Amino acid sequence: MIKELAKNKEGAKERCLKAYEEAKKLQDKLNHVITFIDPSEQCEEIKEGKMAGVPIALKDNVNTKGIKTTAASQILSNYVPIYDAHIATKLKDAGAVCIAKTSMDELAMGGTNLTSFIGPAYNPWDTRRMTGGSSGGSAAIVASGTVPMAIGSDTGDSVRKPASFCGVVGVKPTYGRISRYGIIPYASSLDHVGYFTRSVEDAALTLEVLAGRDDRDMTSSYREVEAYSELLNGDLKGKRIAILKNVTDALHEEETRKIFFDLMKKMEEKGAIVEEVSLDENLMKAILPTYYLIANCEATSNHSNLDGLRFGYREEGSDMQEIMTNTRTKGFGPLIRRRFVIGSYGLFEENQERLFRKGQKVRRLIVEEVKSCLEKYDAIVAPASGSIAPLIDAQKDQDELSDEYLITENYMALANFSGYPSMTVPMGFIDGCPIGINITCGAFEEVKMFNIAEGIEEITGYKDLKAEVK
Amino acid sequence: MEYDVTIGIEIHCQLKTNTKMFSGAPTSFGRMANTCVNEIDLGHPGTLPCLNKEAVAKAIQACTALHLEIDPLVKFDRKNYYYSDLPKGFQITQQFHPIGRNGYIKIVTDEGEKKIRINRIHMEEDTAKQFHLSKMSLLDFNRAGTPLVEIVSEPDMHNGQEAEKYVEALRQTLYYLGVSDAKMEEGSMRCDVNVSISPKGSGKLGTKNEIKNLNSISHIGKAIDYEVERQKELIEKGEEILQETRRFDEKTNTTVLMRRKEGNVDYKFFPEPNIFPIRLDPAWIKEIQENMGELPEERKERYLNQYGLSEHDVDILIANKEMSEFYENIMKHTDNAKSACNWLLGDVSAYLNKHELSIENSSLKPEAIAKLVALVDEGKISGAQAKKLVDDMMEGKDPEESAKEKGMAQVSDASALTDMVNSVLDANPQAIEDFKNGKDKAIGFLVGQVMKVSKGTANPAMVNSILKEELSKR
Repeated sequence: MIKELAKNKEGAKERCLKAYEEAKKLQDKLNHVITFIDPSEQCEEIKEGKMAGVPIALKDNVNTKGIKTTAASQILSNYVPIYDAHIATKLKDAGAVCIAKTSMDELAMGGTNLTSFIGPAYNPWDTRRMTGGSSGGSAAIVASGTVPMAIGSDTGDSVRKPASFCGVVGVKPTYGRISRYGIIPYASSLDHVGYFTRSVEDAALTLEVLAGRDDRDMTSSYREVEAYSELLNGDLKGKRIAILKNVTDALHEEETRKIFFDLMKKMEEKGAIVEEVSLDENLMKAILPTYYLIANCEATSNHSNLDGLRFGYREEGSDMQEIMTNTRTKGFGPLIRRRFVIGSYGLFEENQERLFRKGQKVRRLIVEEVKSCLEKYDAIVAPASGSIAPLIDAQKDQDELSDEYLITENYMALANFSGYPSMTVPMGFIDGCPIGINITCGAFEEVKMFNIAEGIEEITGYKDLKAEVK
Repeated sequence: MEYDVTIGIEIHCQLKTNTKMFSGAPTSFGRMANTCVNEIDLGHPGTLPCLNKEAVAKAIQACTALHLEIDPLVKFDRKNYYYSDLPKGFQITQQFHPIGRNGYIKIVTDEGEKKIRINRIHMEEDTAKQFHLSKMSLLDFNRAGTPLVEIVSEPDMHNGQEAEKYVEALRQTLYYLGVSDAKMEEGSMRCDVNVSISPKGSGKLGTKNEIKNLNSISHIGKAIDYEVERQKELIEKGEEILQETRRFDEKTNTTVLMRRKEGNVDYKFFPEPNIFPIRLDPAWIKEIQENMGELPEERKERYLNQYGLSEHDVDILIANKEMSEFYENIMKHTDNAKSACNWLLGDVSAYLNKHELSIENSSLKPEAIAKLVALVDEGKISGAQAKKLVDDMMEGKDPEESAKEKGMAQVSDASALTDMVNSVLDANPQAIEDFKNGKDKAIGFLVGQVMKVSKGTANPAMVNSILKEELSKR
């Protein structure tokens, strides 16, 4: 879709204004945008490129020079960046026109998009349901058909989970494939730039625009950017697919199982070699606690710069130390403060060895486990969520120590631990709401991943899905 | 009671690089506040560190000159604490894997030569500068992110003099290498001194006190001397020495309590996730090591051999790198090493001090001193006359020309000198008498009189011999 739009540069202004108006119109129902950007000015000087005149949206943790960037937190509620994120520049250079900064969980910490300082984002397929998070606003604005691509970020599954709930394609490429410079961080060793589209083809094209070495991010890769969209063939023949059995074993939702295993059968019919693989159950159960530990430890340090002294929201005090304390006490939501306390605790000298450092060791073991599986298989697949998006009002009676919660709902962080490319594509509908399948491949195997995803897309026919927002 | 004094020193030294440790903003000194900063130095959200290769190269040079083992795997860690001068809320440093370990530097004290061991050198970034006024505090972020090395000594020093010599030796070495400006008074080199005392021969270390931010070498000795006395008094009064952070007060030459240390602060150190460990190429390290400038000790050795100067003169010359380089430039135009050195360390230095100039920003040319030396050596002007040319020369004038302008010429004409000698002898019969009675001093007096009559223009050597000749005739 993006390719066709970019060919028609003449229609750009009209198209971008229309997207902008549509997003504004849907805001009442979706509450998915924090800042709208009137595209008129940008449309005066659209650059030639792969996204010439294509309207897009950015998650509100992507810094945009001169345009408010809040990360959905009170503490950055008035923050206007003095520089553009690397990808904001890349998108501009490719001709993309940004019409909105989308809602998210506060500081990208959360999986529900219920903790944004503007309130929850609502699922375009059923507005009683959540979008998932933390990149919920971006998932919603793509699912509703307003823009063909929106940027998200993925630290645990923050792109791939909302993609499942909103029926869109959600991609998290290899760590280092896309520069993180200018993305307000959550946990540096797990943070990835990701994005949403409504087709695998658009996903492949988008990576061509975003990927590449950036000297300002020392973890960004020098590896050459491939022509992902041209290398697409959707060929599943001979592809060795590992079903992550730990996830499907713990999955009790019958309809999800049926959709998933039907799809597996069809993949086999297309020539894929599909096998069930069990990874070490203890390690799989350790993913979530390990993730929380590492993520919270890094986050508490990463956000120490938010002190009210140099930028952002400030709560006054009698001296600088008091300003810092007051600002941080009032500026962060209660969940964030809780995470910072956990993170600090894990880093204390007397705790660090048995908490943070141990977490790092367990992380390494989990990565080894995934790596050895991917030496035998082309991809690991499993449902991206146990069920469709939960109702926002539903009483949360989930047992947080059950296998279903520990593994099925939270296993996708293994791609953040390893940095391996991972993406979600829609695989079916339950009660009119979408659910996705997750595909993870080896480091820098994006071409292979896109091809498997395209093969699945050809089977399901779920391409360019658009939610009718009611 | 007698005591053992134990001193260890931590030095923070700004590296002389074009840009900051982890950002592309220029480093600065004395620039308008908050003009040498970018989003990284201000700790804006979303910024990431990018390691300055030049800073690593300078750190390698420092390690090499100070004989440290270099860790070819460069790693960084975060030191987490909240303070208004720390923009990110953490400092990027090398807690767990310093770039250099186990080195030393030689010092010479009244007791002879001694090695002071260096425990470690690590790289880190500087903080912002704070100015506390009565009703407000101001922050200047120009300094934030400036590359630093921290040099940590072993507790190998035992008195103020050793500590001063250690810091001076480090300062010279780092300055010679071009690793740092190493100016204590400007803060590009900052010194924290740990002092403890214990009963002599007890073998135990006493409770240490840290004296922070000493900003001149002479303060180091004074601060240590005071601190040792203070601790002695406490012990002798039967009081306990508490672990404290103190500062030196230059008005009273005492140390003053800043804060007591109650347990260690937990900085929650952990590896910096945004900088992967970097394996340095051995060829690159070698290239840096092979292209280092001459070290002060090497230069000293060379001067002693090449110029035949006294050790005392050489020490003074090399203490100032620019002065010693100027000296070498003079020596390209003259062979009289001693004379050139005397002019430079004598009249020229006096002029520079008086006018608060440094050799490199004065108008003096090395050739001028060489010419001055030649004028005297060739007997064209006298030493006394030469001294009168110094002011002109310091303003960039050619001494030969100003000698001409001033009508200076040494009188070396034998008949003219004989006339002068005889007129002096005629006027001083008593001196002739003294001379005949064996008082050799009378010669000196008479030479002085001739010089006076000639207004300093007489050639002293010739006056001497003519005087003796004429005296024998009388």
